[in-house]
Amino acid sequence: MAYPYRHDREVRVLSDGFGDPVARTVGGWRARGGYEGLARALEMGRAAVIEAVKASGLRGRGGAGFPTGVKWSFMPGRASGRPHYLLCNADESEPGTFKDREIIRWTPHQLIEGCLIGAYAIGAERCYIYLRGEFFEATRVLAKALEEAYAEGLAGKDVLGSGTDLDVTLHVGAGAYICGEETGLMNSLEGRRGEPRIKPPFPAAAGAFGMPTTINNVETLAAVPHVVRHGGEWYRQWGTKESPGTKLFCVSGHVNLPGNYELPLGFPLMDLIEDVCGGVRDGKALKAVIPGGSSVPIMSAEDCETCTLCYEGVEAAGSMLGCASVIVMDESADIVKQTRRMADFYAHESCGQCTPCREGTAWASRILRRIEEGRGKEEDLNTLLEISEQMTGTTICVLSDSLAAPIVSSIEKFRDEYLALVRRGERVGAA
Amino acid sequence: MSGGPSSPGGARRRGGPGRDVPADNPGWAGNTGEFGLAEADVRGGVASAGAPPDGGHPSVAPSLPYMLAAKAPEAPLFDGPYLERFEKIKSRYPTARAALLPTLNLAQELRGFVSPETMDEVARLLGLSAACVRGVATFYTMYNKRPVGQFLIQVCTNISCNLCGADDVLAAFLRHAGTELGETSGDGAFTVVEAECLAACGFPTCVQINSRYFEDVGPQDVPSILDRLRGELRSGAAV
Repeated sequence: MAYPYRHDREVRVLSDGFGDPVARTVGGWRARGGYEGLARALEMGRAAVIEAVKASGLRGRGGAGFPTGVKWSFMPGRASGRPHYLLCNADESEPGTFKDREIIRWTPHQLIEGCLIGAYAIGAERCYIYLRGEFFEATRVLAKALEEAYAEGLAGKDVLGSGTDLDVTLHVGAGAYICGEETGLMNSLEGRRGEPRIKPPFPAAAGAFGMPTTINNVETLAAVPHVVRHGGEWYRQWGTKESPGTKLFCVSGHVNLPGNYELPLGFPLMDLIEDVCGGVRDGKALKAVIPGGSSVPIMSAEDCETCTLCYEGVEAAGSMLGCASVIVMDESADIVKQTRRMADFYAHESCGQCTPCREGTAWASRILRRIEEGRGKEEDLNTLLEISEQMTGTTICVLSDSLAAPIVSSIEKFRDEYLALVRRGERVGAA
Repeated sequence: MSGGPSSPGGARRRGGPGRDVPADNPGWAGNTGEFGLAEADVRGGVASAGAPPDGGHPSVAPSLPYMLAAKAPEAPLFDGPYLERFEKIKSRYPTARAALLPTLNLAQELRGFVSPETMDEVARLLGLSAACVRGVATFYTMYNKRPVGQFLIQVCTNISCNLCGADDVLAAFLRHAGTELGETSGDGAFTVVEAECLAACGFPTCVQINSRYFEDVGPQDVPSILDRLRGELRSGAAV
């Protein structure tokens, strides 16, 4: 029961409360078994919680797919005497992604419970939820839920009589894609420009306010209460060996029924498009899919045929699962225009610290617009590929790599479309 | 949703029996699927109504909404409930500087934009240098560096919305609001800008107007949305 459509092949772990306003309240969430995971975590102890999350194989849902339990185990622990922080990354802004907002606005207590368990497990007394500034409606719902959690003794001093203090604090951003990058988020939380930091030091050694920090995505933390309540093995009944569990798939673009769908990882991509989402709009033919948000390589219709939606499956098909934001394009889609729109986005959002990114994204955007308007030359494609190469692996964060991926893949797979625009321009003498 | 009023032209945007969107889309928060909820339910207004003016618990005390129709450019930083919210915000970070973004949000909520003078005042309030605050405030797109209309209309034109016709929606807003991109209409009501992805990609085109999301917006919905906003201004209910 994801939102706004349901499908009977969905597996509802995280999304069962979507569309049910009662699930927003603390009573409604408890009636669904909510906060049992928190109580159980406090009984089990920190090490056992981390072991359970490790056993589940839960991987980070923000895009990188790093195993969550392993990440938690990097934290030095309370014996170090330094304050620890948990950061929840709710700065959802990857184009094509709209799952975290649904989790927050329909099941805020699911996220709060996950934050409390996560903070407890890593030995943090405070969790900051870094919310995207635009999420006013979702933030208001979360704020109300957090008030309820404090009033019921689920957060604050002596949580559920355990003697443990756990604070969850909302921190609202101000509009910058780069703050979704973990170290950019930390700088932003500290009141700085959201410029990513060089690693090492890694956040577990020196993160927010220079202290040991773990940062997890909303969807990752929302899965944690279920894992703790039912055990790691239970979570592995879905998904593949490499990619256990369920995942929210955000489907947008040219399908009949776009929306969020919760499916077991390893679900066939074409089944998602044809069956779950009611097929490509207006009976048109599929042209391309971006499977993981705008930062991953674009796939041709042919690449999609045998692709399964898990971390290793999408990689085998030449792209990345990312945050499972499936952008579907039918035969009418203008690949060059959409690549240019992505380039505009990355050029706008580049923080400007690193030259290859600051200059490369803006340069690529100008070249792509020139081609789109029929003023391009064939050699522009080589320039784009050269710029892309220089934008890959040369910068502090992966923002510029994220533009290189769609540029390179779109030229590889849809070179004819670029050339058609170039030749049309040559014919009318626009070049 | 099935059972919705049908449009004169019968234009519907989505396929599937019983799953069509009526063309006179009310434009709120994606209630276009199978759930049949009221606007307040979808937006969360029912659950979250009645937030105390002082912001409530310090961990929660919001530094939102960042954009209100009513603006007071000369309002002091801060007094009354705003001062209480400011004090609560400061209490929850280990450093004074970390309160900077929430404080700028609060200043913008009150004054409608963040002028260089406002930045300097915020710097003094938090004991930071003016240059540091200037550097931060200019980094983030949500801070309006100059005054905007009573309604700031942000139309997403990023890839998912773009594939579904966002350029036409943006053009419709500009035409019907009677303004140009980034500018404010003559009556001071509407400023229309292009936005990057608003994380509502399944409900194209997504438009953020002040703090509200309007979703599944097509060019034909724009006149009725603007009428609704003008009505809110007349009745004093604009937010």
